[in-house]
Amino acid sequence: MDYDFTEDQAAILGGLEQLIGSLNIEPPKDAVFSAYSQPLDDELTAGGYLDITSQEGFGLLDGALIVEQLAQLPVSVEAATSVLIAPVFLEDTTRRPVAILAGALTKPARFLPMAKTLLADIGDDLLRIEIPEGAVEEVATLFAYPYGRLKNPENLPRVSLGSAQLPTFRRRWRIAIAVESSGLMQSALNLVLEHVKTRQQFGRPIGSFQAIQHRLVMAAELGQAVRWLGLRAAWSDSESDAAIAATFAQDAIPRFCTDLHQFCGAMGLTLEFPLHHWTYRLRALLGELGGSSAQAIAAADATWGQK
Amino acid sequence: MMPEMMPEMMDESPDDFRARARRWLRDNVPTEHPPVDGPESRAYALAWQQRQFAGGWAGLTWPRAYGGRELPVLQQIAWFEEYARAHAPSTHNALFVGMNHAGPTLIACGSDEQKAFHLPKIMQGDVIWCQGFSEPNSGSDLASLRTRGEVQGDELVINGQKIWSSYADIADYQELLIRTDPASSRHHGLSWVICPMDAPGITVRPIKTMAGPAKFAEVFYDNVRIPLANIVGGLNNGWKTAMATLSFERGTASLALQISLSQRVEELIAACDDVALGETLMDLRADAAALRAMSYQFAIKSESGPVGSEGSMIRLYFAELAQRVARVAIDIFGIAAPEVLAVHGLGYDYFDAYSETIAGGTAEIQRNIIAERVLGLPRGSR
Repeated sequence: MDYDFTEDQAAILGGLEQLIGSLNIEPPKDAVFSAYSQPLDDELTAGGYLDITSQEGFGLLDGALIVEQLAQLPVSVEAATSVLIAPVFLEDTTRRPVAILAGALTKPARFLPMAKTLLADIGDDLLRIEIPEGAVEEVATLFAYPYGRLKNPENLPRVSLGSAQLPTFRRRWRIAIAVESSGLMQSALNLVLEHVKTRQQFGRPIGSFQAIQHRLVMAAELGQAVRWLGLRAAWSDSESDAAIAATFAQDAIPRFCTDLHQFCGAMGLTLEFPLHHWTYRLRALLGELGGSSAQAIAAADATWGQK
Repeated sequence: MMPEMMPEMMDESPDDFRARARRWLRDNVPTEHPPVDGPESRAYALAWQQRQFAGGWAGLTWPRAYGGRELPVLQQIAWFEEYARAHAPSTHNALFVGMNHAGPTLIACGSDEQKAFHLPKIMQGDVIWCQGFSEPNSGSDLASLRTRGEVQGDELVINGQKIWSSYADIADYQELLIRTDPASSRHHGLSWVICPMDAPGITVRPIKTMAGPAKFAEVFYDNVRIPLANIVGGLNNGWKTAMATLSFERGTASLALQISLSQRVEELIAACDDVALGETLMDLRADAAALRAMSYQFAIKSESGPVGSEGSMIRLYFAELAQRVARVAIDIFGIAAPEVLAVHGLGYDYFDAYSETIAGGTAEIQRNIIAERVLGLPRGSR
């Protein structure tokens, strides 16, 4: 097993880091509802980062590394679907951003306000819907991603991709949940580690208290576990690995977020402290595709077959 | 003014009392949602308190001498149970400090003049109170606070800064903890002062929480003059008074919220048709039942006098359960449900619930208190 980046992977991630650095992205001020970065999306598209999995010599794992790095930013961009899911189902991959949803077409979905395509798991079919201008109404939320809802889904032309495509769609979605969660968790943890090193109470940094150290160590363990399970799932692209990775991520997020906010005290509960830029999104991912119990059932199905 | 229609509740059977509470709540609970911050939230909270007072339902356990009903705590519990069942406005609103720890602190430690002036105003819904304990560098380490009050004649001249003072921007009074002996350190030389929020020299800066509203505030004091008569519990004796406040905040203050949490769990169970969540929900039901048992036992015991630090155990149990309930509520409806995405829906509750293990002493501080004062374990280094 080789856990080091290949030369190509290191070069891509280095290039991505440079690109991000050139945009000078700061945590948005007072961005309660959504912090979507169109300039970042434009640069990623121009740089070919979002169709990496279609390029010669690159695969899903390389795409996962990109998605993970982008998730570390304090702003959101529609990358996980474009990189990890859409290439399987879109004839024209330039018709992005791509939104995904499971259930009724009237449900809100992440990135729908700017999406050009929607992939919808309606239970017995996977639909591809091209989104015309004006077809979406925005939905205000606290989950940092832009959410929207189709105004009149029955009027939109759709392509049936067939129920046989659903396992792949769901598998890739689970990989995306784990990988994106990993990036969000890394940034959130780093922010809190800095805070507990500098915030003093009782005459010493609060990070020197054992009770806090122990729980932050456990948070770091959760973050590492989510990371490696997600990357493994991207590497194998297997049903079982994907379901296990998503189950673990969605189980870990509540414990992780609770501890991180706890150790930032009241300051961490305000919009003046940037932690929410990552934890809002983690909360959204925690509930995707039915939540951890649904992923655990999928993992059991992958092991024993559907009963 | 005493409320109209005051039957002798002491003579009423528990069933009759409960039935009367249920009828009154059915006819009087506001149908519109409470505003979450600003002057609208003040007006709403005061109007609701005034309506409860007029109906004879405010200050059920408070002394008769100051307009209360002086009823047994069991009737208070029955009222809160009916209150939760009726989906009445959460008691975790702008009135919370006045009704649940400033008022009780005045009852326990205030002078007769202070009680006579302030308690009726709180009960009747005339005023909002806020808390002024924490400072930017004195959160968990409250005894390190630096806001000072200098005695000049019959006044205190106050300078400094407080933070996390919920609803300070709409409050009339503040329970303010300051250092009045400049030579003192730690918990010595402090005073607990009634601070009128319209005193010259006070500046309030609201702070938005991650759940949306501007519920917190920072308060600055620039040569604020307050009469010495506003000190509660004696000059330089403020730590003792503050501990009384915190014992209420960590003890019986959350009784209504604890009861409504149990009700919430039952509502989630009724709303859920996902068998995969069955085990989680039954765990919540067991936890909620345990919480109620502990809360009721503690509340009844509190009637006979101060109970000590056991309240921290219940406060902590409640805080962590409230966070889990908020989490599971989203799992039941799904992340994209209107109930969740709405700006003041279940997503709001989820982020708001993070404060439960921070406000009134963090979970870590509560655990230290429980370990040392309830379990009798040796004190660790701070």
